[in-house]
Amino acid sequence: MFLGEGAGAFNHRSWNAPMSTTVSSPQTQLSALPPGGSASKESIAHARRRRFRPYLVLAPALILTIGIFIPFIAAICLSFTDYSLNSSDVSFIGFDNYLSMLQSSDFWHSLWITIEYAFLCTAVEMLLGVGVALLLNDENIVARFLRIVLIFPLMIAPVIGTLIWKLITNPSVGILVGPMRMIGLGDFKWAASPDSAMFSLVVVDAWVYTPFVIILVLAGLRSLPKSPYEAALIDGGSPWFVFKNLTLPMLAPVLLITLVFRLMLSLQEFSIIFALTEGGPGDATMSLSLQAYNRAFPFYGLAEAIPMMLFLWALVYFVSFILIGFWRRAQQRAAGVA
Amino acid sequence: MKIRFTWPSSFAVVSAVSLALPLADSARAQQSAFDWKQASGTKLVVMLNKHPYADAIIKRLQEFKDLTGIDVETSETPEENYFDKLTAALASKNGTPDVFMTGTYQLWDYATAGYMEPLDAYLNDPSQTNADYDYKDIYEGVRNGGRWDLVPGHATGTGQQWALPLGFETNIIAYNKKYFDEKGLKPPKTFDELYKLAKQLKGWNGPGSYGVAVRGTRNWATIHPGYMTTFTNAGAKDFEIKDGKLVSDLGSAKSVEVTKEFAQLVKDAGPPAWSSYTWYQCGADFGAGKAAMLFDADILGYFQNVPGGSAEAGNIAYSPPPVMKEGDPVGANEWIWQVAINKSSKNKKAAWLFVQYFTGKEHGTWAAINASVVDPPRKSIWDNPNFQAVMSKMPGYLDTFNTIIANTSVKFTPQPYFSESTTEWAATLQKIVLSGADPKAAMTDLAKRITAKTSKLKLDQPAKTARQ
Amino acid sequence: MIQSRSPLAKIGKGLQILLLLAYAVFALFPLLWMFIMSIKPDSQMLTTTFIFTPTLENYATVLHSDYMQFFFNNLIVSVAAVLVSLVVGVPAAYALARFQFKGKEDIAFTILSFRFAPEILVILPLYLIYQRLGLYDTYFGLIWVYQLITLPLLIWILRGFFEDISPDIEAAAQLDGYTWWQVFLRVLLPLVKPGLVAAGLLCFIFAWNSFTFPLLLSNNVQTSTVIALRYLASDTVHYGQVAAAAAISALPEVILALLIQKHLVRGLSFGAVKG
Repeated sequence: MFLGEGAGAFNHRSWNAPMSTTVSSPQTQLSALPPGGSASKESIAHARRRRFRPYLVLAPALILTIGIFIPFIAAICLSFTDYSLNSSDVSFIGFDNYLSMLQSSDFWHSLWITIEYAFLCTAVEMLLGVGVALLLNDENIVARFLRIVLIFPLMIAPVIGTLIWKLITNPSVGILVGPMRMIGLGDFKWAASPDSAMFSLVVVDAWVYTPFVIILVLAGLRSLPKSPYEAALIDGGSPWFVFKNLTLPMLAPVLLITLVFRLMLSLQEFSIIFALTEGGPGDATMSLSLQAYNRAFPFYGLAEAIPMMLFLWALVYFVSFILIGFWRRAQQRAAGVA
Repeated sequence: MKIRFTWPSSFAVVSAVSLALPLADSARAQQSAFDWKQASGTKLVVMLNKHPYADAIIKRLQEFKDLTGIDVETSETPEENYFDKLTAALASKNGTPDVFMTGTYQLWDYATAGYMEPLDAYLNDPSQTNADYDYKDIYEGVRNGGRWDLVPGHATGTGQQWALPLGFETNIIAYNKKYFDEKGLKPPKTFDELYKLAKQLKGWNGPGSYGVAVRGTRNWATIHPGYMTTFTNAGAKDFEIKDGKLVSDLGSAKSVEVTKEFAQLVKDAGPPAWSSYTWYQCGADFGAGKAAMLFDADILGYFQNVPGGSAEAGNIAYSPPPVMKEGDPVGANEWIWQVAINKSSKNKKAAWLFVQYFTGKEHGTWAAINASVVDPPRKSIWDNPNFQAVMSKMPGYLDTFNTIIANTSVKFTPQPYFSESTTEWAATLQKIVLSGADPKAAMTDLAKRITAKTSKLKLDQPAKTARQ
Repeated sequence: MIQSRSPLAKIGKGLQILLLLAYAVFALFPLLWMFIMSIKPDSQMLTTTFIFTPTLENYATVLHSDYMQFFFNNLIVSVAAVLVSLVVGVPAAYALARFQFKGKEDIAFTILSFRFAPEILVILPLYLIYQRLGLYDTYFGLIWVYQLITLPLLIWILRGFFEDISPDIEAAAQLDGYTWWQVFLRVLLPLVKPGLVAAGLLCFIFAWNSFTFPLLLSNNVQTSTVIALRYLASDTVHYGQVAAAAAISALPEVILALLIQKHLVRGLSFGAVKG
């Protein structure tokens, strides 16, 4: 949980420093505190208020979301029992669910599938998303038109998007089968073959979520300051030089946050895999979230599924923790570039 | 169960004497006096799966309300997610829903877990069950699908009635009659004929077309239609009780042999994207003229043949599922959509009236004729000339049904690991078809894994799942 | 950005546009196909050509069912969820960007971590709690649980955008006699606008397309995202109706995206970022 003290120190000056007492205090209004008391006590009261102010501002967000700890802890408690949805008996069984998970080869297989899936999807989407966002960050007519249209795939629920892909790629009735046959790939079976199932999943995931990357990176590009570029132009830097030494460092924080969200959501991805392969053929795409779902609901063994999901949770936590560390460093570096 | 109501003692004697229905004269005399209004003013919450059977209920809610004075709130959930939602609702044991739709196989879990109200006491009570109900009118194989004694390994048909049928489906061959007639082909009688014909029909209607549509997703639903029907017609069994333990029989020579043959059928004549096919892709391919035959639920072929339902509508006919040797008795596995009462419901009297009304003769007949509720579970409906008139537009449907109904039943052995064992079964089938897994080794391994679970079940008492 | 007139640059530009168009085909063809499906009759649904008799029947079927009721449920829940997230999340993002205080990074990461818990992990306990608290099947219940999806996204994206703005700008504006609120509204918000708009749009999309939470935590207050699947499986598969339902369901997102499109660029060209 603790991220290290040093990382929190930014080279920004504190907001509080230049504040004058005559200007009505922003934080007071923000935290909805009553105006300060008498002049003599003001500085002490102010200082105390100032110290608590950030917490007060953050409190609503925390209060709204912290409730999730209750079901979370309830789930952890359940994991030490044999609670199942098709039995009325519950007894305490200690770490049995955890031990049987660690001993099951299915679990390790699924862990590998989960990591493979998340890595492939995130890599493809980041590269594609950044590339397209750079291309869109231009004032030609194509870019201007496509800027908003290209995010439409995100607006279809992933389950339905997957269904459409399934139809398009269907070897009997799909629209794509004609062109595929023409280029000699008529027998390509997409999600219906263990060899190409993962590939198909990545294609669909990239179709759905690349726009997520595009939106965020484009917003990042659009808020870059102009002056450093003008300077670079005068210096006659090549586009690649400008990208590498100017755009990339300044964009790094946005890229990393985008990466965090893509990675943590693709590690947990359920809808697309469920709708496309249900974990098959065989066990070829049986990810952790799918196996946990199967165990918890169709197989009724909720308590047995919880260790898998906690493992997934810990994995996401760990990966995000590291990436957020990078993000903070990038944020500081970006502040130094311009 | 705590019975809060009282009934005339003469009826109590009738129901206490036997589990049979009160078709005694005394009950008959009461039929005009049956009090449909006995739970008037109650409000029921009903969970339905999106299905024509559920649509038929919704269409006639007003009639039910008028007759009983019971208010009903329904919800229809997409099938893919229905059971997850239902399981969560039942597990919370807070009285909602009062009534729910269920399928035979899920019933084994829900009844075992104590989520379901046993129905015999209601069925046998003439003050609660209209003498017109005529339980025996429901085909034996279908009503038995809702009856089980809760002992894993014991076949359905003994013990309590847990749910009553709205409609059901058997598994048969539907074929493109127009094409078959053009080419002088006959629908296959044996599995061998099916294999040869289906293989020969590859590309029959342009590129991408193939012989026979069968399901293949990694899901229990892949096993129960064509495959399970073939499996049992071949004389194979899913489980055996050995030394007081429930042991999977999927590794037996018979099981391996039939699985091998079925896998070969899929490989040589099934849908190219077989492992991503569930019932609706199979039905759609068949209706679009991509599959020459469909080995799946009879009603799936039925809906493709309804005018406007598909490109090939009007060209479709039906024939019984293939047997292994000519002359073998022909039967099919079945799937039944049923309604049942939540054990924790606080409105059981009203809930029973709901179940009774919507599984009764009057609604069933109306729904079969007017609302596409095929296959109706009652013999009287199949004998109804109006229904026969509707079905006569489906060549071979009635004959096929009458040929197989005597041998149509739930072919799976009831046990609370049904979903897990059949899902793994489907995964194994996928490995055999797509990854070249050796049928014998794969099925033996599957049997071992299933037995590891089921052998822990206690068979001498109503099941309490012994999860480890 | 960098203007040049050399032929090489022209070829480069042409290539850029070609690449963009290639991606556009990949991204948009499935949507076009979905639209075509939505105007195809069932009997011609699975033909692999573009020739068919167009029909509005699928839309009529969907519009005449209770689908629109679930559509409006979704609209109410998603709009409210995003508004709550904005009201609560923007100040929080600002506080995390500007203030120095003990435990800041822990709190920030904790907020992010609310997004980590797989939905399946918490859904059943959550379901039971919701039933007990009377939140099951209520608008409020869904709006609340959607905060888990929208708030971490909004706060973390905006935090970065706020940190990009130099505190000097705020200070300078304030010394010019503006109140803090005026500074916030007139200076800060325009500067973070691209981030705010992008994050808000994404929050709305994720809330709108949320599936597991509404499926299990509501019944009558069900959302159109769940209900659209109804058309998939009943008597037979009605791909056309699914496509029509999905197209209708995407409308609010498309409209929102078009409305806020021009705000995806920074409002003020202060030259003020990271000054």
